[in-house]
Amino acid sequence: MSHAEHVNGELPHEPEKATLEGRNKVLGFWLFLGGEAVLFGTLFATFLALRGQNNEGPTAAELFSLPITAAATLILLVSSLTSVFAIQALHRHNIEKLKLWLIVTVVLGLGFLGLEIYEFYEYVVHESFNMKTSAFSSAFYTLVGFHGAHVAFGVVWISLLIAQLYRKGLTVVTAPKVYVSAMYWHFIDVVWVFIFSVVYLLGKVG
Amino acid sequence: MTANQQSNEGPTVKHRHRVEGPEKHIVVFIFSIVLTAIAFAAVAAGGINTAFTIILLLVMAVLQVFVQMGYWMHLKDKGHLMPILFMIGGFFVASTCIVMALFWVWW
Repeated sequence: MSHAEHVNGELPHEPEKATLEGRNKVLGFWLFLGGEAVLFGTLFATFLALRGQNNEGPTAAELFSLPITAAATLILLVSSLTSVFAIQALHRHNIEKLKLWLIVTVVLGLGFLGLEIYEFYEYVVHESFNMKTSAFSSAFYTLVGFHGAHVAFGVVWISLLIAQLYRKGLTVVTAPKVYVSAMYWHFIDVVWVFIFSVVYLLGKVG
Repeated sequence: MTANQQSNEGPTVKHRHRVEGPEKHIVVFIFSIVLTAIAFAAVAAGGINTAFTIILLLVMAVLQVFVQMGYWMHLKDKGHLMPILFMIGGFFVASTCIVMALFWVWW
Protein backbone atom coordinates (compact mmCIF):
# COMPACT_ATOMS: atom_id res chain seq x y z
CA MET A 1 0.00 0.00 0.00
CA SER A 2 1.37 3.34 -0.98
CA HIS A 3 1.75 5.83 1.85
CA ALA A 4 -0.14 8.31 -0.32
CA GLU A 5 -3.35 6.32 -0.31
CA HIS A 6 -6.07 5.72 2.20
CA VAL A 7 -6.74 2.17 3.45
CA ASN A 8 -9.52 1.54 0.98
CA GLY A 9 -7.67 3.18 -1.88
CA GLU A 10 -10.07 6.10 -1.87
CA LEU A 11 -9.17 9.66 -1.05
CA PRO A 12 -10.83 10.37 2.32
CA HIS A 13 -13.13 13.26 3.05
CA GLU A 14 -10.99 16.21 4.19
CA PRO A 15 -7.75 14.57 2.94
CA GLU A 16 -5.68 17.27 4.65
CA LYS A 17 -6.66 15.85 8.05
CA ALA A 18 -6.61 12.16 7.16
CA THR A 19 -3.05 11.44 8.33
CA LEU A 20 -1.28 12.28 11.58
CA GLU A 21 1.39 14.03 9.51
CA GLY A 22 -1.24 16.17 7.81
CA ARG A 23 -2.87 17.13 11.11
CA ASN A 24 0.50 17.93 12.67
CA LYS A 25 1.39 20.03 9.65
CA VAL A 26 -1.74 22.13 10.14
CA LEU A 27 -1.18 22.44 13.90
CA GLY A 28 2.51 23.33 13.43
CA PHE A 29 1.55 25.89 10.84
CA TRP A 30 -0.76 27.59 13.33
CA LEU A 31 2.18 27.86 15.74
CA PHE A 32 4.16 29.46 12.91
CA LEU A 33 1.31 31.90 12.21
CA GLY A 34 1.29 32.86 15.91
CA GLY A 35 5.00 33.66 15.51
CA GLU A 36 4.26 35.61 12.33
CA ALA A 37 1.70 37.66 14.25
CA VAL A 38 4.47 38.58 16.71
CA LEU A 39 6.85 39.44 13.85
CA PHE A 40 4.36 41.75 12.18
CA GLY A 41 3.39 43.11 15.61
CA THR A 42 6.94 44.35 16.18
CA LEU A 43 7.02 45.94 12.71
CA PHE A 44 3.65 47.63 13.32
CA ALA A 45 4.94 48.82 16.71
CA THR A 46 8.00 50.40 15.06
CA PHE A 47 5.88 51.98 12.35
CA LEU A 48 3.28 53.40 14.73
CA ALA A 49 5.98 54.85 16.96
CA LEU A 50 7.90 56.48 14.10
CA ARG A 51 5.21 57.33 11.54
CA GLY A 52 5.29 61.06 12.32
CA GLN A 53 9.08 61.40 12.00
CA ASN A 54 9.29 62.45 8.34
CA ASN A 55 12.60 64.36 8.68
CA GLU A 56 11.41 67.07 6.24
CA GLY A 57 10.71 64.36 3.65
CA PRO A 58 7.22 63.55 2.35
CA THR A 59 4.55 62.84 4.98
CA ALA A 60 2.08 59.98 4.83
CA ALA A 61 -0.78 62.33 3.91
CA GLU A 62 1.20 63.80 0.98
CA LEU A 63 2.41 60.45 -0.29
CA PHE A 64 -0.38 57.91 -0.18
CA SER A 65 -3.03 57.52 -2.86
CA LEU A 66 -6.35 56.02 -1.81
CA PRO A 67 -7.29 54.58 -5.26
CA ILE A 68 -4.08 52.50 -5.47
CA THR A 69 -4.52 51.24 -1.90
CA ALA A 70 -8.17 50.42 -2.59
CA ALA A 71 -7.22 48.49 -5.75
CA ALA A 72 -4.53 46.51 -3.90
CA THR A 73 -6.99 45.76 -1.09
CA LEU A 74 -9.65 44.55 -3.51
CA ILE A 75 -7.16 42.31 -5.37
CA LEU A 76 -5.91 40.68 -2.17
CA LEU A 77 -9.41 40.26 -0.74
CA VAL A 78 -10.63 38.57 -3.92
CA SER A 79 -7.55 36.31 -3.93
CA SER A 80 -8.38 35.27 -0.37
CA LEU A 81 -11.87 34.29 -1.58
CA THR A 82 -10.45 32.34 -4.54
CA SER A 83 -8.23 30.35 -2.17
CA VAL A 84 -11.36 29.52 -0.15
CA PHE A 85 -12.86 28.20 -3.39
CA ALA A 86 -9.67 26.18 -3.95
CA ILE A 87 -10.05 24.48 -0.57
CA GLN A 88 -13.74 23.80 -1.26
CA ALA A 89 -12.71 22.14 -4.54
CA LEU A 90 -10.14 20.14 -2.54
CA HIS A 91 -12.88 18.92 -0.20
CA ARG A 92 -14.93 17.87 -3.22
CA HIS A 93 -11.84 16.06 -4.61
CA ASN A 94 -12.21 18.17 -7.75
CA ILE A 95 -8.56 18.55 -8.71
CA GLU A 96 -9.23 20.49 -11.93
CA LYS A 97 -11.16 23.21 -10.11
CA LEU A 98 -8.59 23.15 -7.31
CA LYS A 99 -5.77 23.86 -9.77
CA LEU A 100 -7.85 26.51 -11.54
CA TRP A 101 -8.63 28.44 -8.32
CA LEU A 102 -5.00 28.18 -7.16
CA ILE A 103 -3.86 29.60 -10.51
CA VAL A 104 -6.36 32.47 -10.16
CA THR A 105 -5.03 33.10 -6.64
CA VAL A 106 -1.43 33.22 -7.90
CA VAL A 107 -2.35 35.59 -10.75
CA LEU A 108 -4.11 37.94 -8.31
CA GLY A 109 -1.07 37.74 -6.01
CA LEU A 110 1.13 38.77 -8.94
CA GLY A 111 -1.27 41.65 -9.66
CA PHE A 112 -0.95 42.83 -6.08
CA LEU A 113 2.85 42.61 -6.27
CA GLY A 114 2.90 44.55 -9.55
CA LEU A 115 0.83 47.32 -7.97
CA GLU A 116 3.13 47.46 -4.94
CA ILE A 117 6.27 47.58 -7.10
CA TYR A 118 4.71 50.42 -9.14
CA GLU A 119 3.83 52.25 -5.91
CA PHE A 120 7.35 51.90 -4.44
CA TYR A 121 8.89 52.93 -7.79
CA GLU A 122 6.77 56.11 -7.84
CA TYR A 123 7.79 56.95 -4.28
CA VAL A 124 11.51 56.39 -4.84
CA VAL A 125 11.83 57.97 -8.29
CA HIS A 126 9.24 60.77 -8.29
CA GLU A 127 8.78 61.58 -4.61
CA SER A 128 12.40 61.09 -3.43
CA PHE A 129 11.02 58.89 -0.69
CA ASN A 130 13.44 56.02 -0.13
CA MET A 131 14.62 53.76 2.67
CA LYS A 132 17.00 56.41 4.06
CA THR A 133 14.75 59.49 3.81
CA SER A 134 13.34 59.40 7.33
CA ALA A 135 12.44 57.16 10.26
CA PHE A 136 8.93 57.13 8.77
CA SER A 137 10.22 55.95 5.38
CA SER A 138 12.39 53.19 6.91
CA ALA A 139 9.52 51.94 9.06
CA PHE A 140 7.12 52.13 6.10
CA TYR A 141 9.33 50.19 3.66
CA THR A 142 10.23 47.60 6.29
CA LEU A 143 6.63 46.90 7.27
CA VAL A 144 4.95 47.08 3.85
CA GLY A 145 7.98 45.53 2.09
CA PHE A 146 7.97 42.62 4.53
CA HIS A 147 4.33 42.03 3.75
CA GLY A 148 5.11 42.25 0.01
CA ALA A 149 7.91 39.71 0.48
CA HIS A 150 5.38 37.39 2.14
CA VAL A 151 3.09 37.77 -0.88
CA ALA A 152 6.02 37.02 -3.21
CA PHE A 153 6.93 33.94 -1.17
CA GLY A 154 3.29 32.81 -1.23
CA VAL A 155 3.14 33.22 -5.03
CA VAL A 156 6.27 31.05 -5.49
CA TRP A 157 5.09 28.49 -2.94
CA ILE A 158 1.57 28.09 -4.37
CA SER A 159 3.00 27.94 -7.93
CA LEU A 160 5.24 25.04 -6.88
CA LEU A 161 2.26 23.33 -5.25
CA ILE A 162 0.27 23.69 -8.49
CA ALA A 163 3.19 22.03 -10.33
CA GLN A 164 3.19 19.24 -7.75
CA LEU A 165 -0.59 18.78 -8.15
CA TYR A 166 -0.05 18.32 -11.90
CA ARG A 167 2.68 15.74 -11.27
CA LYS A 168 1.35 13.82 -8.27
CA GLY A 169 -2.36 14.61 -8.19
CA LEU A 170 -4.39 15.09 -5.05
CA THR A 171 -3.32 12.68 -2.28
CA VAL A 172 -3.19 12.68 1.52
CA VAL A 173 0.40 13.96 1.08
CA THR A 174 -0.32 16.89 -1.25
CA ALA A 175 -3.66 17.90 0.32
CA PRO A 176 -2.21 19.17 3.66
CA LYS A 177 0.35 21.25 1.74
CA VAL A 178 -2.38 22.96 -0.27
CA TYR A 179 -4.51 23.46 2.85
CA VAL A 180 -1.63 25.03 4.78
CA SER A 181 -0.72 27.33 1.86
CA ALA A 182 -4.32 28.59 1.83
CA MET A 183 -4.05 29.34 5.56
CA TYR A 184 -0.86 31.29 4.83
CA TRP A 185 -2.60 33.23 2.08
CA HIS A 186 -5.51 34.16 4.38
CA PHE A 187 -3.04 35.27 7.02
CA ILE A 188 -1.33 37.56 4.49
CA ASP A 189 -4.73 39.05 3.71
CA VAL A 190 -5.37 39.53 7.45
CA VAL A 191 -2.05 41.38 7.82
CA TRP A 192 -2.96 43.55 4.83
CA VAL A 193 -6.25 44.53 6.53
CA PHE A 194 -4.18 46.05 9.33
CA ILE A 195 -1.71 47.60 6.86
CA PHE A 196 -4.32 49.41 4.79
CA SER A 197 -6.10 50.56 7.96
CA VAL A 198 -3.12 51.55 10.10
CA VAL A 199 -0.55 52.60 7.49
CA TYR A 200 -2.53 54.04 4.58
CA LEU A 201 -5.89 55.19 5.94
CA LEU A 202 -4.49 56.36 9.28
CA GLY A 203 -1.69 58.08 7.33
CA LYS A 204 -4.29 60.01 5.36
CA VAL A 205 -6.17 61.00 8.54
CA GLY A 206 -3.01 62.34 10.14
CA MET B 1 -9.61 15.85 18.27
CA THR B 2 -12.55 14.58 16.23
CA ALA B 3 -10.52 14.10 13.05
CA ASN B 4 -8.49 11.51 14.97
CA GLN B 5 -11.31 9.00 15.11
CA GLN B 6 -12.29 9.45 11.49
CA SER B 7 -9.17 7.93 9.97
CA ASN B 8 -9.30 4.92 12.31
CA GLU B 9 -12.64 3.75 11.03
CA GLY B 10 -12.62 0.63 8.90
CA PRO B 11 -12.96 0.77 5.13
CA THR B 12 -16.42 -0.79 5.28
CA VAL B 13 -17.89 2.14 7.18
CA LYS B 14 -19.57 4.36 4.65
CA HIS B 15 -20.90 7.68 5.79
CA ARG B 16 -22.13 10.58 3.80
CA HIS B 17 -20.19 13.76 4.39
CA ARG B 18 -21.87 17.08 4.15
CA VAL B 19 -19.71 19.28 1.93
CA GLU B 20 -20.20 22.94 2.71
CA GLY B 21 -21.29 25.27 -0.04
CA PRO B 22 -19.71 28.60 -1.01
CA GLU B 23 -22.63 30.72 0.28
CA LYS B 24 -21.31 31.63 3.72
CA HIS B 25 -17.86 32.40 2.30
CA ILE B 26 -19.43 34.80 -0.21
CA VAL B 27 -21.33 36.41 2.69
CA VAL B 28 -18.00 36.83 4.55
CA PHE B 29 -16.50 38.34 1.38
CA ILE B 30 -19.34 40.86 1.00
CA PHE B 31 -19.13 41.67 4.72
CA SER B 32 -15.37 42.31 4.33
CA ILE B 33 -15.96 44.52 1.27
CA VAL B 34 -18.56 46.55 3.16
CA LEU B 35 -16.29 47.04 6.21
CA THR B 36 -13.42 48.03 3.90
CA ALA B 37 -15.66 50.46 2.00
CA ILE B 38 -16.81 52.08 5.26
CA ALA B 39 -13.18 52.57 6.34
CA PHE B 40 -12.13 54.05 2.97
CA ALA B 41 -15.24 56.23 2.73
CA ALA B 42 -14.70 57.66 6.22
CA VAL B 43 -11.16 58.71 5.25
CA ALA B 44 -12.02 59.87 1.73
CA ALA B 45 -14.93 62.00 2.95
CA GLY B 46 -12.69 63.80 5.45
CA GLY B 47 -13.98 66.36 7.89
CA ILE B 48 -14.92 63.69 10.42
CA ASN B 49 -13.49 63.96 13.91
CA THR B 50 -9.96 62.43 13.82
CA ALA B 51 -10.25 60.43 17.05
CA PHE B 52 -13.58 59.01 15.89
CA THR B 53 -12.10 58.05 12.49
CA ILE B 54 -9.17 56.26 14.14
CA ILE B 55 -11.49 54.24 16.36
CA LEU B 56 -13.75 53.49 13.38
CA LEU B 57 -10.77 52.26 11.32
CA LEU B 58 -9.57 49.98 14.11
CA VAL B 59 -13.05 48.58 14.76
CA MET B 60 -13.58 47.86 11.03
CA ALA B 61 -10.15 46.16 10.79
CA VAL B 62 -10.60 44.01 13.91
CA LEU B 63 -14.13 42.96 12.86
CA GLN B 64 -12.96 41.98 9.40
CA VAL B 65 -9.99 40.02 10.76
CA PHE B 66 -12.22 38.19 13.27
CA VAL B 67 -14.71 37.12 10.61
CA GLN B 68 -12.03 36.07 8.11
CA MET B 69 -10.07 34.07 10.66
CA GLY B 70 -13.26 32.45 11.96
CA TYR B 71 -14.71 31.40 8.63
CA TRP B 72 -11.89 31.40 6.05
CA MET B 73 -9.23 30.00 8.37
CA HIS B 74 -11.83 27.75 10.09
CA LEU B 75 -10.99 28.92 13.61
CA LYS B 76 -14.68 28.74 14.54
CA ASP B 77 -14.78 25.04 13.61
CA LYS B 78 -14.43 22.19 16.12
CA GLY B 79 -10.98 21.05 17.23
CA HIS B 80 -9.32 24.46 16.87
CA LEU B 81 -8.58 25.16 20.53
CA MET B 82 -4.78 24.99 20.14
CA PRO B 83 -4.73 27.17 16.97
CA ILE B 84 -6.91 29.73 18.78
CA LEU B 85 -4.51 29.71 21.76
CA PHE B 86 -1.52 30.12 19.40
CA MET B 87 -3.15 33.11 17.70
CA ILE B 88 -4.26 34.69 20.99
CA GLY B 89 -0.67 34.26 22.22
CA GLY B 90 0.69 35.84 19.04
CA PHE B 91 -1.72 38.77 19.11
CA PHE B 92 -1.09 39.26 22.84
CA VAL B 93 2.68 39.58 22.36
CA ALA B 94 2.14 41.72 19.22
CA SER B 95 -0.17 44.17 20.99
CA THR B 96 2.18 44.31 23.99
CA CYS B 97 4.97 45.32 21.57
CA ILE B 98 2.79 48.02 20.03
CA VAL B 99 1.69 49.49 23.38
CA MET B 100 5.29 49.32 24.64
CA ALA B 101 6.72 51.05 21.56
CA LEU B 102 4.11 53.84 21.66
CA PHE B 103 4.61 54.33 25.39
CA TRP B 104 8.40 54.30 25.00
CA VAL B 105 8.55 56.82 22.18
CA TRP B 106 5.70 59.17 23.03
CA TRP B 107 5.72 59.44 26.81
